[in-house]
Amino acid sequence: MKKTKLLFGLGLLMVAGAILVAADHIDAPSSMGTSADIADFYGFEPSEGSDNTVFVVDLQSNVLPDLAYGSFDEMVLTEINIDTDGDLVEDFVIQAIPRDGRMYFFGPVTPIKTGLDSEVLVDSPLGSVEISGTTAIKATTANGVTLFAGPRQDSFFFDFFQFNAVIGGMAPGGFKTADEAVDTFEGKNTMSIVIEVPNTLLGTPTGTNALQLPVYKAWVTTNKKQ
Amino acid sequence: MILNNIKYLFLSIMGLAVMASCNNDDDMMEPIAMATCNDGIMNGSETGIDCGGSCEPCMTAVDFSGNYTQVDHMGRPGINTVFGYDMEGQPSVKDAHNRTIPSEMATTFQAGYEARLEQYYDVYADLLGIDPAALNYENNILGQDAATLTTYLAADVLEISPSLPTTYFDPGTDFDNDGRILVPDGDEVALTGRRLTDDVIDVSLILLFGGAEGDRFDGSDKNMDGSPDTPRLTSDGVALTATVSSSFPYVGNPE
Repeated sequence: MKKTKLLFGLGLLMVAGAILVAADHIDAPSSMGTSADIADFYGFEPSEGSDNTVFVVDLQSNVLPDLAYGSFDEMVLTEINIDTDGDLVEDFVIQAIPRDGRMYFFGPVTPIKTGLDSEVLVDSPLGSVEISGTTAIKATTANGVTLFAGPRQDSFFFDFFQFNAVIGGMAPGGFKTADEAVDTFEGKNTMSIVIEVPNTLLGTPTGTNALQLPVYKAWVTTNKKQ
Repeated sequence: MILNNIKYLFLSIMGLAVMASCNNDDDMMEPIAMATCNDGIMNGSETGIDCGGSCEPCMTAVDFSGNYTQVDHMGRPGINTVFGYDMEGQPSVKDAHNRTIPSEMATTFQAGYEARLEQYYDVYADLLGIDPAALNYENNILGQDAATLTTYLAADVLEISPSLPTTYFDPGTDFDNDGRILVPDGDEVALTGRRLTDDVIDVSLILLFGGAEGDRFDGSDKNMDGSPDTPRLTSDGVALTATVSSSFPYVGNPE
């Protein structure tokens, strides 16, 4: 039984291995390589003791040839979802969508409906920022939110080709040591959306992580116009 | 009396000033309106309050209509990539992950993720010539068994603390100086977000392959026989190569 599972598993791993890129870059057949493909998501305190939280959403990637990269798609709505009470249902959303060279932001606001279908929350405009070229342009809203959208270096680092060898059963020794390993994402770019939000706009979380520390539970989605 | 005189003098100077500014207005209509994209009133060439005309476009004037349907999802790094798998002739599990709400993810995907985790061990059982049934996941540094870990990860959200220092997990910090740098035992800070510099791959590998002390498959030579005792599965060996900044927008200029 276990042997059957093993053989089956190995075949599977090799097929899947050909297209695997992390963190979320090119993660699934339908979204992979499209203008709506989420590459990465970060959330952090900008400096120790800060009263703000920063969200970074990376869309698209030029890590491999023939992937969508270079401009935000006006048909794609990016949504940062934030659950504050730990039930894994969004209590706040922040939306971003491009129009004619600017990225428009909405929220943070409690959504009228949660789930897989969205509309732009036009009644809760936050502000907009000109989409940057190689030099960053930022905008700060009246309520203290700072906005950015444009091409950036991909901060993700991973020896993805060795990972494929590892899971494909081609690397008896496992991963390489630091002097031999190669960061597949070195020198690669992505399309970043960065938003720095005062914590007062999101409130104090009551949900907790595995160490029982109070945390927001956040996720990003891309949503395509129907 | 003197005070009154001073007051009148002051008023007449003010009057002159007002007249002077009126004259200026008559001579140059535009300058005052041009400089007011943030004065809280609609003036100049604006078509809304501080927007339109020579200011940035009014959000209400831009067409945002339509219905949008979710096509991709991400919380923690690598979840769908590492645990999702598609079988030929079957609906894509990876696509399904991207179209499932987080509150239903654990129920939908946990069993498949646990099976997938065991497959990774089977790959190495095969390479090492060990019976796959004898080489299995062991509880990790968080004390999680395979079912608990995959339940935790299947709900694909990024946990972010607004009040504590951010670290996805810092495998080099012994906050309570008890000598156990990988094992949280109550007072360490971890899983509080994700910085640009956090080595999320190594953390994930340690959780999957590190066992209770984080060093189970670390590829080290503990018995000092001159070769690694195990495959190296707890680190991919790479560190941050991109430029990051301590000031907004934090991510580096494109290459």
